[in-house]
Amino acid sequence: MAHRIVGKPIGRVDGIEKVSGEARYSGDVSVPGLIWGKALRSPLPHARIVRIDTSRARALSGVLAVLTAQDLPSILVGRRMFDMPLLARDRVRFIGEKVAVVAAPDPDIAEEATALIDVEYEDLPAVVDPEAAIVAGAPVVHENPGAYEGAPAERPHPNVQSVLRFSLGDVEAGFRNAARIFAHTFRTQLAHQGYLEPHAGVVAIDEAGRVQVWASNKMPFRLKELLSHALQLSPEKIRVNLTPIGGDFGGKGSLMDLPLAYHLARVTGRPVKMVMRYAEELMAGNPRHPAVITLRTGVGNDGKIVARSVKALFNSGAYAAFKPAPSVSLGGASMGAGVYRIPNLRIESFCVYTNNVPCGHARSPGEPQMVFAEESHMDMIARELSLDPAEFRRRNLLKDGDRLANGHHLEHVRASDTLEAALKASEWSQPKPGPWIGRGMAMTHRHIGVGFTNAAVRLQTDGRVTLRIALPDTGTGAHLVLRQVVAEVLGLAVDDVEIEMATTDDFTTDSGVGGSRVTHTGGRAAFHAAENLKAQIQAEAAKLGVPADSLAAIARAAAGEGRTLAASHFYDAKAHGAVTSFTAQVAEVAVDAQTGQVTVRRFTTAHDVGTIINPIGHQGQIEGGLIQGLGYALMEEIKTEEGRISTLSLGDVKLPTIQDIPPLTTVILEDPVGPGPFNAKAIGEGSISAVAPAIANAVADACGVRVLDLPITAEKVYFALKAKEGRP
Amino acid sequence: MNRKIRLTVNGTARAVEVPTYRTLLDCLRNDLGLTGSKEGCGVGVCGACTVLLDGKMISSCIALAVSADGHEITTVEGLAGDERLHPVQQAFIDAGGFQCGICTPGQVVSAKALLDAIPNPSDAEIREWMLGNLCRCTGYYKIIESIRAAAQQSRA
Repeated sequence: MAHRIVGKPIGRVDGIEKVSGEARYSGDVSVPGLIWGKALRSPLPHARIVRIDTSRARALSGVLAVLTAQDLPSILVGRRMFDMPLLARDRVRFIGEKVAVVAAPDPDIAEEATALIDVEYEDLPAVVDPEAAIVAGAPVVHENPGAYEGAPAERPHPNVQSVLRFSLGDVEAGFRNAARIFAHTFRTQLAHQGYLEPHAGVVAIDEAGRVQVWASNKMPFRLKELLSHALQLSPEKIRVNLTPIGGDFGGKGSLMDLPLAYHLARVTGRPVKMVMRYAEELMAGNPRHPAVITLRTGVGNDGKIVARSVKALFNSGAYAAFKPAPSVSLGGASMGAGVYRIPNLRIESFCVYTNNVPCGHARSPGEPQMVFAEESHMDMIARELSLDPAEFRRRNLLKDGDRLANGHHLEHVRASDTLEAALKASEWSQPKPGPWIGRGMAMTHRHIGVGFTNAAVRLQTDGRVTLRIALPDTGTGAHLVLRQVVAEVLGLAVDDVEIEMATTDDFTTDSGVGGSRVTHTGGRAAFHAAENLKAQIQAEAAKLGVPADSLAAIARAAAGEGRTLAASHFYDAKAHGAVTSFTAQVAEVAVDAQTGQVTVRRFTTAHDVGTIINPIGHQGQIEGGLIQGLGYALMEEIKTEEGRISTLSLGDVKLPTIQDIPPLTTVILEDPVGPGPFNAKAIGEGSISAVAPAIANAVADACGVRVLDLPITAEKVYFALKAKEGRP
Repeated sequence: MNRKIRLTVNGTARAVEVPTYRTLLDCLRNDLGLTGSKEGCGVGVCGACTVLLDGKMISSCIALAVSADGHEITTVEGLAGDERLHPVQQAFIDAGGFQCGICTPGQVVSAKALLDAIPNPSDAEIREWMLGNLCRCTGYYKIIESIRAAAQQSRA
């Protein structure tokens, strides 16, 4: 079906404020009387707090308040499992944990005051390695984690936060029928989401005693609930005001400093702003979990996988508080099955407490870790079997009616089409252009997100339409997508649909932004609201005897009778449908024989997608996710030494720059079968996860070196080349 | 210790008293209310705080406000004319050169400086010049497209 507005490459007309500097992010919010909060953080990974002396900080001119755990209720906070104190009480469990907080009108004075707080610690034995953390006798990070609200029941060791399992068939029997069995272990690094806006928030208690919040948080209604819990206030006492968010990538869903800003506001009677410095983000944000993953796969003589077992250990750090899923785990573990039909499968995933920074969600939570391991493993098996990695995959790809690891049935499976498209575009079967050049491929799939979203539309007397939503703008272009959906339904131009940002006062609930949901759930909410409004407009037009596109006349006539034409819709998608989105990627790399440096010469990414609503935004999601995947593959790492982070600047963690991006070929396989408006699917998390294994497989192809741990730095390749040559 | 400084910001003369340790970025944002320039990394590597000092790009998060005394500063708020966006700003909208927008004030200030210096840059020159402006959303491809389009627009 041809559309008028949907599918058109409309630029980011929703972002004039962003290019002109007028957009007000939470860190830009200013209210009269605003003061600043700054936190003091633990310098030790595990210690008892013997004594805190705040007298020197309190005496500093300009300081309005200094709070420690003694001044706060003994509440524990979290997103699903509530195990984190607002400020460390008696004990610190990671370097960067907050132990005190200061308020002053001048942020520099507040920061100076934190340095004047004297804390006496007594070292406790720390455990930083997830494998060491779950052996008998390991130092225990929490005495009784099972007692925490939201704690999962299964706990094989006190340092295990959660266990997530997936299984299909009979794994033991499957392995008995295998002709060959392969096992490999992989490791992935601690990595920050890399948004350039550190967590920021403003909390003001207004004259009516209501708590007004502006925060870099993508789930305003969940934030309200969590704040209500953390602050022991009834939900109607809290209003979350929406601001644009300066990059999310999974990381902007936690309370972070907001409860402390509230308590500082409470004791000083002034609105309080807290903005994390980037060094604080790197030591105490909620980064992507490092992982240790072992896969064991049994293959038949026909090159078909007969059984697989997967064990993943995610180093979750000192608290589970940042994980939002009810399982208190990472759904990405299910990608241990890859995009393959595996009749007998067992995946066990453990999230483990250690004395490191607590980890949280990052774009495709758990998937870049698991897909790196799984797709490297597939390539290693293919080489052992002397099969082309593409051919080995072909023999095992998911087909219509197959089940995912979670038992979910699939339809419209386009794994094979996607693979072949990537192979063709990348010239996979052509000879390589020279020595030390290799090609590698990897595949993945990503669900179309679910959740519940509100949309309210209203016809204005000038004939334009207002779309009211409570979805913060995280940058994906979702607001423009929703305007296009409404414009399409109502026969308007995009400029005739304007977004009105709601607050948490305006709707009852809303699942916010995340999990590749918004085009689907927000799009459907907007679509149905607009359809309802369209029916009202048509009825009014018939009544008035005017054409249905005389919107201003219709609206004015209704206004003359004291009516406004308006409609709202609450769209609630509870379960994933039978459709997913496949990705196949091919990297071509050159390895420098002298230094081990890897250069990506070209990259091909193929995507099985639904109806594309905005091609510019769609391609922007592919490119942005892909370059995050490239950084994860080759350079990004928050390095730690005994729990101490040694890369405390954004320069040291090495995000990709404009000089790092490879020539890119994108192949789109558009198939209008998604659950979104006009049969759209999702794209935000489709391009990130397969990049690292595609590059790792290309490096192996180029020089015979298999890097089993990310990132694939020149040093690792260099030393592996030396080892291969038998030289030191 | 406080010092009174005078600077011209986006063409307007401003006088402000600041502590000598105050960064130019904090002075612009908190003392002068120009919150367009952003603090990302805070150590001069991400470029979100890029402003022009006498036409040259600097990281305002690692420059002291007192060092700008007597100089001309251009921030993102100063790029647009009365009625029209600067061609670079318009191109970033048209070509999808931003997503979340937090790095965009720095990107467009750097891109304007690029086109002032090299009106018709090659892709290699764009990449060289824009190296100090990180973007986590776009993967840079559409930033390059935007700058190319702005250069073309400026010539037209």
